[in-house]
Order: sequence, then C-alpha cells, then structure tokens
Amino acid sequence: MIKKEYIRSVLNIFATSPFKPLVLHANKGGDCVRKLNESLSAFCAGDMETVEALNREIDVIEHEADVIKQTIRSELSSSIMLPVHANDLLNFLKPQDSISDDSQEVAFWLTVRKFEGPDEVKEGFRELMDKTLATVEMYETLVSSLGELLETSFSKRDVEDTLELVVKVEEMEHQVDVIEKELVRLVFSNEDNIGPLGVYHLARLVRGIGDIADKAEHSADRLRTMVLRR
Amino acid sequence: MSLFDPLVLLLIAAGLYMAWNIGANDLANAMGTSVGSGALSIKQVIIIAGVFEFAGAVLFGKRVTSTIAKGIVPIDSILDPHLVAVGMLAAILAAGFWITLATFYNLPVSTTHSIVGAVLGFGLMAAYNGIIGFGDIKWAVLGKIVGSWLVSPLLGALLAYLIFSIIRYFILQKADDPYNIEKKFVILQTLTACYIAFAHGSNDVANAVGPLYAGMNVLDMAGLSIPLWVMALGGIGMVIGLATWGYRVIETIGTRITELTPTRGFSAEFATASVVVLHSYSSLPISTTHTLVGSVIGVGLAGGLAAVDLSVIGKIVVSWIVTVPIAALTSAIIFAGLLGVGL
Repeated sequence: MIKKEYIRSVLNIFATSPFKPLVLHANKGGDCVRKLNESLSAFCAGDMETVEALNREIDVIEHEADVIKQTIRSELSSSIMLPVHANDLLNFLKPQDSISDDSQEVAFWLTVRKFEGPDEVKEGFRELMDKTLATVEMYETLVSSLGELLETSFSKRDVEDTLELVVKVEEMEHQVDVIEKELVRLVFSNEDNIGPLGVYHLARLVRGIGDIADKAEHSADRLRTMVLRR
Repeated sequence: MSLFDPLVLLLIAAGLYMAWNIGANDLANAMGTSVGSGALSIKQVIIIAGVFEFAGAVLFGKRVTSTIAKGIVPIDSILDPHLVAVGMLAAILAAGFWITLATFYNLPVSTTHSIVGAVLGFGLMAAYNGIIGFGDIKWAVLGKIVGSWLVSPLLGALLAYLIFSIIRYFILQKADDPYNIEKKFVILQTLTACYIAFAHGSNDVANAVGPLYAGMNVLDMAGLSIPLWVMALGGIGMVIGLATWGYRVIETIGTRITELTPTRGFSAEFATASVVVLHSYSSLPISTTHTLVGSVIGVGLAGGLAAVDLSVIGKIVVSWIVTVPIAALTSAIIFAGLLGVGL
C-alpha cells in the first residue's frame, strides 16, 4: 500500500503467513487432478472434445498454482521468522507444485491420440486414476492439517495426527505403484490390439499418472521433515 | 505568574498536541492488537482505552513525568525560571515536530525517545550558553533511561515467550479443540486490553505533560507534587487523539493482524503492559510500541505466530540512533531561536 496515512504502526512486524497460500496451492494441485480424472473418463469414452476442453481448464489452474507458488517464495525473505525452517517449507513447496505440473502434462498427452484398446485396459486406467486421485486428496487433507498444527503451535498430539496422514499418503502411493506396474504389463500384453504407437501412448500415460501420486508422496515426506525438524 | 502567561499557554497547547499524537498512534497501536484478534470491537476498545488510559495517566503517571521534567536537566539549578519554561517549550516543539514528520513517513519512531532527546538538547544548549555546566546534566539518569530502551523490548520478548510457552504447554497442547480455548481467552484479553491502556497511560502521559510540569514548577505555579489537572490534561489529550484519529489506526491494524489470535494477543499484551508498568514504577520513560514489538517477537519465538518479519528490528534500531540526536539538535536550535526572538 503506497497511500500515505498519518500512521505509525506495529503492523510491519506481522508478515503474511505462507501457510494459508500453501494450503490453497495444494488444493490447486488437487483441482488439477480432479479435472484430470474427468478428462480420463472422457478419454476412455472417446469424447475428445471434452478432453480438449479439460486440458485448457487444467492449463489455467496450473498457472494459478504457479502464481501462488511465486507469491509464497517472494514473500519469504530472510528476515521472516516462521515456526518451521523456511528452507524446509520451500523444499516441500517444490514437489507439491509438481502435482499440478504433472497433471498438466498428462492432460496434454490425453489430447494427442484417441484411446484404442480393450475394456480391461480401460478398467486398469480407471483403477489407476481413482487410486491416484484418492492419494492426492489424502495429501490435501494432510496439508490442511497444518492449520490445526499452527493453532496449537505444534502440540504433540496434532503432530502425531499429521504424521499418521503422511504414512497414509505413502501407503496409498505404494498401492498406485503396484497398479501402475500391472497396468504397464497389461498394455504391453495387448500390443496386438493396441499397436506399437498405442502402447507407447498408453505406457506414457500410465507413467504420467503414476508420477502424480509419486509427487504427492514426495511432498508428504518433505512435509514430515518440515514438521519434525522445526 | 498567571496560568494565562503566554509561555504556559504555549506549553499547554504543545503538550495537548503531543498527547493527541500519542493517543492517535501509540495508544492505538497498543489497543489494535485486541481488535486484530477479534476480542473486542473498535467501539469497545475506545471506551476501555479512554477509561484506563486516563486512569493510568492520573493515578500512576507522576513518576515518569517527574523524570522528564527534572530527571535529565537539573531545572532547579537554573536561576532564571523563564529560561526553563522557554527551554521546555523548545523541547516539546522539537519532539512534536519530529514525531509529526516520522508519522508522515510511517517510521517506527518513539515519542518517548523524541522527548528525552529534545529535553537533552535543551540541557546541552543551556550548558553551551554557560547557564549550567555540562557535568550538571544528569548523565547517570540518562544512561539508565537509554539502557531501559534496550532492556524493555528484550524483557517484553522474554516475558511474552514465557507466557505463551506456558499457555501452549499447559492449555493449547492439552485441549481437544484449540478454537474453544481461543474463545475463552477473549475474556482474558478484554482484561489485558484494560491493563495495557493503563500501563500506556502511566508511562506515555509524561511525554506530553513533562515539559509543562517543568515549566509550571519553576514558575512557582506547581510545587513538588504535580497538579492533578496537568495529568488529567495529558490523559484527556490522549483519549481525544484515540477517538478522533486513533480509531482509524486501530481499524487498519485490526483488519490486517489476523494471525494474532486471543491466546497470542493475550501473551503479547500482558507482557507489554507488565514491562511498561514496571518502568512507570521505576520512573523510567520507555516506548510502549517498541516493547510491544519485542513481545510479539517473543510470541513468535515460542512458535505462536505463522510469520514474523524481523526486519522491523533493524528499522527500530535505526530510529533509536537517529531520534535522540535529531530531537536534541532541533530542540537546541528552537531554544536558541526562541531566546533570540526575545520570548
């Protein structure tokens, strides 16, 4: 605020909290994955128009997430004192940002080629996407638990609750890994139906979706470091 | 000498302006934290501040007022009472000028530091003119005052750290619903709002009426005990400042400090008020605002705040170093000028 007011105040001592935008940023990642989930359904149904439309929507959300990330970074100057280490916070912001980045990439890859393949592959994708979305949503719950942590200024019980959520995210990500591997095998075993190009496309999609869950797990792990090392 | 001596009237006017400014900014800052945490509405804060600020000034403000009036410059050893009255007028004008400038540029300058610097400037000018000796200025008292400016924010930080740590350990971390605890602290914060207003009144009233009392004392209009109406004048001036301008400052602070929940606000305010009252008791003029900044940092150090910007410390230190010489110099120049025009 440039406006000159006839005021001497203590306001400057209160810096903008990075934690609220951090939760907002995590939710943007979640929004991307929810849109991606819709996009995958449309992809499986052969509705490429919707896939295109959703791809553009995800682009917009990903950009919003980037803006929030930049704001958080720019406001964390060295004079800001947080209840956690600022470096740990930035270290966990980075993989969290990749959730929306990776969703954007998969959303794009969905637009480049129509789905051709048997129903069992479709079901495999459905299962992979559902589990990934569930992982990311669990991750969102984890990040929003930071609010409670700050409120009690890291009470032992709340820290334990948060750490339990971290473990849940890790377990779910592991399940995604298992589904991912099976699905890749399934895709390759259907090479005759899908064709080499189709196999390449679908394998790439599988990896892309799996990466999203990876990033959620990675951020959860960094978040744990941040909470424990404070 | 009559109360309607132009010199006394000028001292009263300048004192009222100073009181208005203190009420509009410093008192508003101290009270703003209660509004920020949602404990009180602006209207409630102004009423509480009005009552307790006035009470603090009238009931507990005399010690610090004495220090400003007689503690730094030995006015009793200046034979010509006229010189003292003019010097004190110069001091309060200089302090008022510097505070006005600082407020325009939103610098964290303390009225206390300004008035102490300004009174010192008058003393130095008097010594320069051979009215008193340089050795007559009470350097030991001045040293104690400046020392207390360093100690008070640190003490605020330490006390706030301890208070919040206790609340955190024994209450917040054992609670099932921290939000419920915050609600209960709203009541306690109403009490600390009264406490901090009282504390502020007891210490900062001196910045406005110290020079006035000094002038009246040497002109034989006030004896060893400070007339009640002088303290009341300061109290009223500060309350008017709060009511006519301070509410805007409170509004600004209240809407922007959302991090300071009632438990945090309580800790910071209780620590600040205690440190200030302690200094009022010891007759030492300190900055309530700087103590409050120290206390907020203390709460932050105890892990109570999401984000604290420590760059304010640097600005405050700079304002310390700059304020005393500038106020002293301006005061000395105004003093020489007033004598020059034959006042």
